[in-house]
Amino acid sequence: MALKTWRNWRGWQGLTLALLAAGLPGLQGGTLAWMTVAMLGLACLKLLEARSLGERRLVALLQLVVAGLLAAQRPELGPTLLQGTATVTALAGLLALELDAGLNARALLSRSLQVALAALPMALLLLVLVPRLDPLVPLPAPEDRVAETGLSADLDPGGIARLAGNDAPAARLAFAAGGPPAPAERYWRVLVHERFDGRRWQRGERSLEANTIPLPPAAGPANQLWLMEPSRFAAVPWDGTSRAPAGGDESLRLHGSGELLLRQAAAERRTYRLAGQERGVSWQQLPPGPVDLAFPAGRQPRLETLGRSWAELPSTEARLAAAESWFRSRPFRYSLSPGALPETAGLDAFLFERQEGFCGHYASAYTALMRAAGVPARVVSGYLGGTWVQPLGGSPFLDVRQSNAHAWSEVWVSGEGWRRVDPTVWAGGGGGAVAGAVAEAAAARTSWWTWSQRQWWGLDVAWSRWWLGFDRAEQENLLQRLLGNRRDWLGALVLLAVGLTLAAGLGLLAVLQRRGGDPARRQLEWALMPLRRGGLEPEPGESLEHFCRRAAAARPELAAGLSELAASYQSLRFAPPGTGGSNSRARLARAAHRLRHNTTLTVRPWMQMCAGSNGSRTIAGPWSSWIEPPPP
Amino acid sequence: MTRSPLQPVIAAIGEVLLGKERAVKLALACLLARGHLLIEDLPGVGKSTLAEALARSFGLGFKRVSFTSDLLPADLTGINVFESASASFRFHPGPLFSEVLLADEINRASPRTQSALLEAMAAGRVSVDGTSHPLPDPFLVIATQNGLDQGGTAPLPESQLDRFLMRLSLGFPERAAEQALLTGAGGHPDTIATGLGPADLRALQQQAAGQHCSAALVDYVLDLLARSRSSGMGGMPLSPRAGLALVAAARAWSLLEGRDHVLPDDVQAVLAPVCEHRLDGGQPRHEPGELSRELGRGVDGLR
Repeated sequence: MALKTWRNWRGWQGLTLALLAAGLPGLQGGTLAWMTVAMLGLACLKLLEARSLGERRLVALLQLVVAGLLAAQRPELGPTLLQGTATVTALAGLLALELDAGLNARALLSRSLQVALAALPMALLLLVLVPRLDPLVPLPAPEDRVAETGLSADLDPGGIARLAGNDAPAARLAFAAGGPPAPAERYWRVLVHERFDGRRWQRGERSLEANTIPLPPAAGPANQLWLMEPSRFAAVPWDGTSRAPAGGDESLRLHGSGELLLRQAAAERRTYRLAGQERGVSWQQLPPGPVDLAFPAGRQPRLETLGRSWAELPSTEARLAAAESWFRSRPFRYSLSPGALPETAGLDAFLFERQEGFCGHYASAYTALMRAAGVPARVVSGYLGGTWVQPLGGSPFLDVRQSNAHAWSEVWVSGEGWRRVDPTVWAGGGGGAVAGAVAEAAAARTSWWTWSQRQWWGLDVAWSRWWLGFDRAEQENLLQRLLGNRRDWLGALVLLAVGLTLAAGLGLLAVLQRRGGDPARRQLEWALMPLRRGGLEPEPGESLEHFCRRAAAARPELAAGLSELAASYQSLRFAPPGTGGSNSRARLARAAHRLRHNTTLTVRPWMQMCAGSNGSRTIAGPWSSWIEPPPP
Repeated sequence: MTRSPLQPVIAAIGEVLLGKERAVKLALACLLARGHLLIEDLPGVGKSTLAEALARSFGLGFKRVSFTSDLLPADLTGINVFESASASFRFHPGPLFSEVLLADEINRASPRTQSALLEAMAAGRVSVDGTSHPLPDPFLVIATQNGLDQGGTAPLPESQLDRFLMRLSLGFPERAAEQALLTGAGGHPDTIATGLGPADLRALQQQAAGQHCSAALVDYVLDLLARSRSSGMGGMPLSPRAGLALVAAARAWSLLEGRDHVLPDDVQAVLAPVCEHRLDGGQPRHEPGELSRELGRGVDGLR
C-alpha cells in the first residue's frame, strides 16, 4: 500500500514535469525563459532527492510556479491547454501527497479539476481588473530564427528561376463583424521597397524613431484581429487604411512609407488589432522624396528608353495609361518558373524577350518604367487574397499563407497621393485574378492536414479574440465604462471583487465536492434537496433511516414517500445482492421522483418566508436522542 | 418492518426487568454476537436480574461470583481433587463452567484473577494442571464494575476492557417502571418460559454471524475506524478488534431488528456500547457517550 501511494504521487509529479518540459521549446530565450528552464530543472532534481513531505510539497509548488511562468510567456491556445493540464496534474500530485490514504486516479483528477475550476472566477477577475503588462522582457528578435515569411527585404526577381509554392501560414485575420472584403480588395501591404539600384529593389532603413508616428487612433473599437506568424520584419500586414482602435495602441507605429511597424520583429506569434476606416491615413498624402525617383542610368537601357518616351506625355494619368496599354498589348504571361534572367539588363530581358514571370517581375519592371517616365514610384510587397475559412467551431477567419505573397507598385499621382497599381493583372491568360487564382487553386486542393489545421486555427482565433484581444486598451475601455473618472475606487474595487470571487470559488468547490459520490447517492441528494431547502437537513452523521423517520414526523404528508425512499435506497445499498431484484435502481429513481414531486408541491420556501420569520422549520433531533448514552 | 423473531424473548425479559428494553436488547445482542458484557453501575439496579433472565430465556445455567480481593483463579476455574476411591484426581469444575456467569465487582479482584477470567473468556477453554477443559458453548460473562472512585479497586486495564464486546449501564428505572416494580408487577426470572433452549441460541448466534454486510456498510465502519484514528479526535484510536466487535454487534442488532442485512442504523445503535469504553480507555468522560457521539457525527451516515 505504501509503495503504491508512493508511486501514485511520484507518477503525477513526473507527468507534470514532462508536460511542463513539453512547453519549453516555444520559448524565446531571455532572462525569463532561462529562469523557467532553471526552475524546471530544479524541480526535477528536487523530485529525485525529496525525502520528506515538505520537500515533495516544494516540488509541487515549483511546478505550479513554472506553469505560471510559462503562461506569462506563451498565451496561445495550444500552450495554454498544455499549461492548464500541467497545473491540474500538479494539483493532483499535491493531493495524492496530502491524502496518502489513496484516492484513485480518477478521483484525484476530478478533485484537482474542481480546485482549478474554483480558481477560475478569481483568474477572470484578475484578468479584467489588474493592469496588464506589456510583454515581460522585450527582446530583440534572435537572428537565427528561421524566417517563415515569403517576403524579403530585397526584391530581385531576376535572380529567381522558379518560385516554389510555400504553403506555410503567414497570418490570420478575423473580423469583428461581417465577412472579408472582396477578393480584389484583399491587398495586405507589408514592406515598401523604394531603393532601386538598377536591378534590385531594396527596402530603406527603418527605425522606430525616424519618420514614424503612432498609428492614429480611430473613433470606434477594433474590428480586425491579426494573428501574425513569426517574422523577420517588424513590419506587419495591414490594409493600409485602418487605424488603431480607440484609445490607441502603443505598440503600433506608422512609417512614412506606409509600413505598419511593431516595436520589434515578431519573433513569437503576435496579435494586433486594427479599426477599419474608409478614408486613408496620412501616409498616402506624404509627398515622394528623391529616392522615389532614383533611377541609375544605363543599367536597363531598353527599359529606360521606353520609359523616357512616356515622359513626354503631359500628365501622370496619361503616362499610367500608356504603360498599361503597352503591357496589355504585349503577350505577357504569368509563370512561376520563368527561369533566371541575365545578370545585366535583366529587366530588359524580361520586358522584351521572355515576357513571362511572376508578380515580382511585373512590379519591378513596371515601377522602373514609371521612374524612367518621371513618375515617383515604388514597389510594395505583401499578401494578396487569402482563403476565407469557416471552421466547424470557433471564429471564421481569413487564412493568409506564404503562397499569397505578392508584389505590386505604388505611383504618386499629384492631387491624389500614392495609388496602388498592380501590373501583374495585365499579364495574359486569366488577366485579373492571376495571383488570386493561384491561391484559390491551392485552397481547392485542401489536404486533410490543412483542413484540421484550419479547424484548430478557428478555435485559436476565437481564443485570441477573447484572451489576447483583451489588451491594455480594451481593459482601459472597460474600466472607463465601469468606473468613469472615479479611479480612486479601483483599489477598493479590486480588493472587494477578489474577496467575492474567492468566496464564490470556495463555495463552488464546496458544491462540487458535495456532489461527488455514486449515482445512487446523487439521486438521494437530489430527492432530499427540497427538504433541505425547507430547513429539514440530515444532521452530521445521521443515517437515512433515522432522518426519514424524523422528517416524516415533521411532515406527515410525506411519510409514505420518505419511507419508500429509505427502503428503496437501503435495499440498493445494504441488502444482499439478488433480494432487491434487478430493478431496484428503477425503484429508487421512482421513489426519488415521487418524493421530489410531492415535496415541491407541499414545501415552498418562499411561502414559508412570507409566512414569517420562522420560515425554516428545523426539527430538533440531536444525536443524543438517537444514540443512547450510557447513564452516569 | 418485519417483527423480530426475538421479540417474545425481549418481551419476556422486559416483564422481569421493567422499563429497560434497550438495555435488554443490547445484552441480547451481546449474547447473539458471542460477546461479553461489562456493566458499570450502582448496586441494586437489576444487574443479576438481567443476567439471570438472559440465562433463563434460553434455558442456560447461571452462576454468580462475587469478586473479592482474595479470590484466586482456582476459585473460578475449579480444581483437581484426589479421590481415594478411584485413586485418581478428578476435576471439579468451578463457576466458570456455567453458560452465564455474573462476575460481580470484577475490579475488586486481584489482577491475576481478573486475567484468568479474561483469558478464559477469550480462549473458550480453561487449563488446569495441564489439562484443557472446554467451556460451555453459549458462554456469556456479565461483569459488573463499581464506580472507579471507590477504594480498594484494581481497574481493568485497557487491553482487558477491549475483551468486552459492550459496556452498558442500566441506570435508574423511569418513574412509571419503578412504580410498577414497587407495586409488585415485576415478575421473577424463574417465571420466564420462552420455550427456547441452548441449541436455539446457537442457531441464532450462527444466523447473526451470517447477516449480510454490504460493501457500503463496511465502508461506513472503516470510515468510523479511520476517523477514530485521525488526529483531532479525542480518545484512543479504535483497534481492528474494535472494528470486528462493531460489525458483530451490528449484525446481532440487525437480527434483533428483524432484518437480514445490516444498516448504518444498526452500527449507530451499538456504537456507544461497543466503542465508548474502547475510546475512553476505561476513564469515562463527564458526559456519557461523548466520544462515540463525536465519532458518529464525524462520519457521513447517509450512505
